[in-house]
Amino acid sequence: MSEIKVHSSEYRPPPPDRPPSGTRSPGVWVRQNLFNTWYNSLFTLILVPAIGYVVYRAIRFVLVTARWEIVEVNLTNLMVGTFPRSELWRPWAAVAILALVIGLGLGVTARANVEAARIRGIELTTSWQQNARRAAPALLLVAALVTFVRTATPLILLAATVVLAVAGYLVGRRIPPHRRRWMHLAVITGLLGSYVVVTQFDGVSLDRWGGLMLTVFLAIGGIAMAFPVGVLIALGRRSTLPAIRLVSVVYIELIRGMPLIALLFMGWLILPFMLPVGFPTPGRTWRVVIILLLFTAAYVAEIVRGGLQSIPRGQYEAAQALGLPPWKTMRLIILPQALRNVIPAMVGQFISLFKDTSLVLIVGLTDLLAVARRVTQQPEFLGQGLHAETLLFVSFIYWVGSYWMSRESQRLETRLGLGER
Amino acid sequence: MNEDDAMTEPDTSTSLTQDARRAGGTGEEMIRCERVQKWFGDFQALRDIDLVVGRQEVVVVCGPSGSGKSTLIRCVNRLEKHDGGRIVVDGIELSDDIRNIQEVRREVGMVFQQFNLFPHLTILENVTLAPRQVRRVPKAEAEQHGMELLERVKIPEQAHKYPAQLSGGQQQRVAIARALAMKPKVMLFDEPTSALDPEMIKEVLDAMVQLAESGMTMIVVTHEMGFARAVADRIVFMADGQIVEVGTPTHFFTNPQEERTKLFLSQIL
Ligand SMILES: Nc1ncnc2c1ncn2[C@@H]1O[C@H](COP(=O)(O)OP(=O)(O)O)[C@@H](O)[C@H]1O
Ligand SMILES: [Mg+2]
Repeated sequence: MSEIKVHSSEYRPPPPDRPPSGTRSPGVWVRQNLFNTWYNSLFTLILVPAIGYVVYRAIRFVLVTARWEIVEVNLTNLMVGTFPRSELWRPWAAVAILALVIGLGLGVTARANVEAARIRGIELTTSWQQNARRAAPALLLVAALVTFVRTATPLILLAATVVLAVAGYLVGRRIPPHRRRWMHLAVITGLLGSYVVVTQFDGVSLDRWGGLMLTVFLAIGGIAMAFPVGVLIALGRRSTLPAIRLVSVVYIELIRGMPLIALLFMGWLILPFMLPVGFPTPGRTWRVVIILLLFTAAYVAEIVRGGLQSIPRGQYEAAQALGLPPWKTMRLIILPQALRNVIPAMVGQFISLFKDTSLVLIVGLTDLLAVARRVTQQPEFLGQGLHAETLLFVSFIYWVGSYWMSRESQRLETRLGLGER
Repeated sequence: MNEDDAMTEPDTSTSLTQDARRAGGTGEEMIRCERVQKWFGDFQALRDIDLVVGRQEVVVVCGPSGSGKSTLIRCVNRLEKHDGGRIVVDGIELSDDIRNIQEVRREVGMVFQQFNLFPHLTILENVTLAPRQVRRVPKAEAEQHGMELLERVKIPEQAHKYPAQLSGGQQQRVAIARALAMKPKVMLFDEPTSALDPEMIKEVLDAMVQLAESGMTMIVVTHEMGFARAVADRIVFMADGQIVEVGTPTHFFTNPQEERTKLFLSQIL
């Protein structure tokens, strides 16, 4: 029994068959895909002109008819709402911090990926085209802003921000592996720091924030807090303690059964009266953040529950058999796999939160969309029907944010799936 | 057939049919099961299991599907909670006390039919996780020991790959290394080769033979009779949640006493 040859070479599945040669001339492609049956031909003949017309009108509007001066004049309003103009350096400082930290984070993860892949014998190369494509949404936004900026200062500051982000990325790529654990801390410090720099040290209270700045705050604040809370509730739902389980289930079902708008109204009108007397009532914006976070957390909890259910029993048993205590089993074995399985659903939920922040205009906050509605009421634009321009502009910003999140989630999925089933 | 007669009457226990309550191996007791009962709802999966496994002994458990083999060894490390009787592992009695359970689990390694490697960790991380997290071994030391174990099961070159990149046989050998990393005193195997393609069975059995030769106490649920014949000190035959017959391989293959054992062997050999 001792002379048994052990297979030590790596197991590789056989390469898949190549698909039949894929090079076809455009003419052949059109015939095969657009005119292959009579009804397909019919659809093509109807749809192509229809789409062409819509696209033509859209381009014509954007480039010719639109009166973009409403966006141009109100760019600052759209960015910060009624934020005191004398304190504008604060949001700029916050943006600078965020750019640096995000760049740093991207740089560190990029290097970590390359190294992790190299250990496994894969050489990951990131071409500049890939990087450019990755940064494309952000660049589009910068381009749109640049188009509408009329003075030099913001342009210089914007350029400085981009430089900071790139610098952060390059620094991140130089950070050696054993220092990497500090990066999480750096990112969290950066997020907190950008909030502190605006509100503290004789700063501007949250209730005077507005525009894109407020929207971004609501989204980042909501996401950053809804994620851990949602995970905790999902774990609570599987707790062995009946009381915790009951509370979690009731919470999830209650929140998921109510429209966000109703919850926002409650946070605005009812929450102050439900707090104990003498308890400091959080400011209006904070109440909205809390509602958004509580709302999203319930959905995150359900998503995480699905992820937890997708983990086979054998994983728990293997961890138990090794003597791992339950909470370590959860933290090291189950949650990493469960969360990875639900990245797409989770990011979908966050995208939806990002867009849902626009609902806060009904409780009187002046977020990006609220500003866009209001500027059409200014004396110089009143009654001129410039809704399309402003709505298009803010929609574009929402789209850039959502698209960017969606792209990054796809990247994350493929990256985490490296070498796995 | 009344099992109690065979068990409690020393006179009927000839030199051929051994007493399951007498330790083999060095003679020192490692695992003691006394009248162990296990119910799944109304269904009794284990009844009156008496079995003592001695230090350094290799016990092979076989029997038809559904006879309670898995349930028995899963009770030994408390993946299942027994409903009656006693189970003592290396002097620690399994009770509801969570510290006892953790202590026993640290002493007892287990290898599953489906490998159950952690797919999000590399091979080396799979192997070093428990020593680092449970025994608090420093990283470098755990990795060094992990690499030694991977060399022992002959796959050191796969250390930085992920489980899905390995063949079934390689994965099962990693699972063995992972269990050994905790330096257990007992190893449990639940049909470790049943999920493997035929050509990979040997490499896993080879690792197990090597382990047995190194003096590990082992309970192995398997239908690999070649393995049983070569390494087992005793073979336990189970049916319907009971131990039907216990004996040395020689006894078992040449002179089984019970009809059910004979029937089973005729089907499997
Ligand atoms: N978790 C469970 N719930 C209910 N019945 C179970 C469970 N696990 C095992 N059983 C039943 O207990 C019996 C013994 O199972 P098992 O120990 O897995 O048998 P073996 O490993 O010998 O094939 C089987 O009839 C099986 O259906
Ligand atoms: Mg079984």
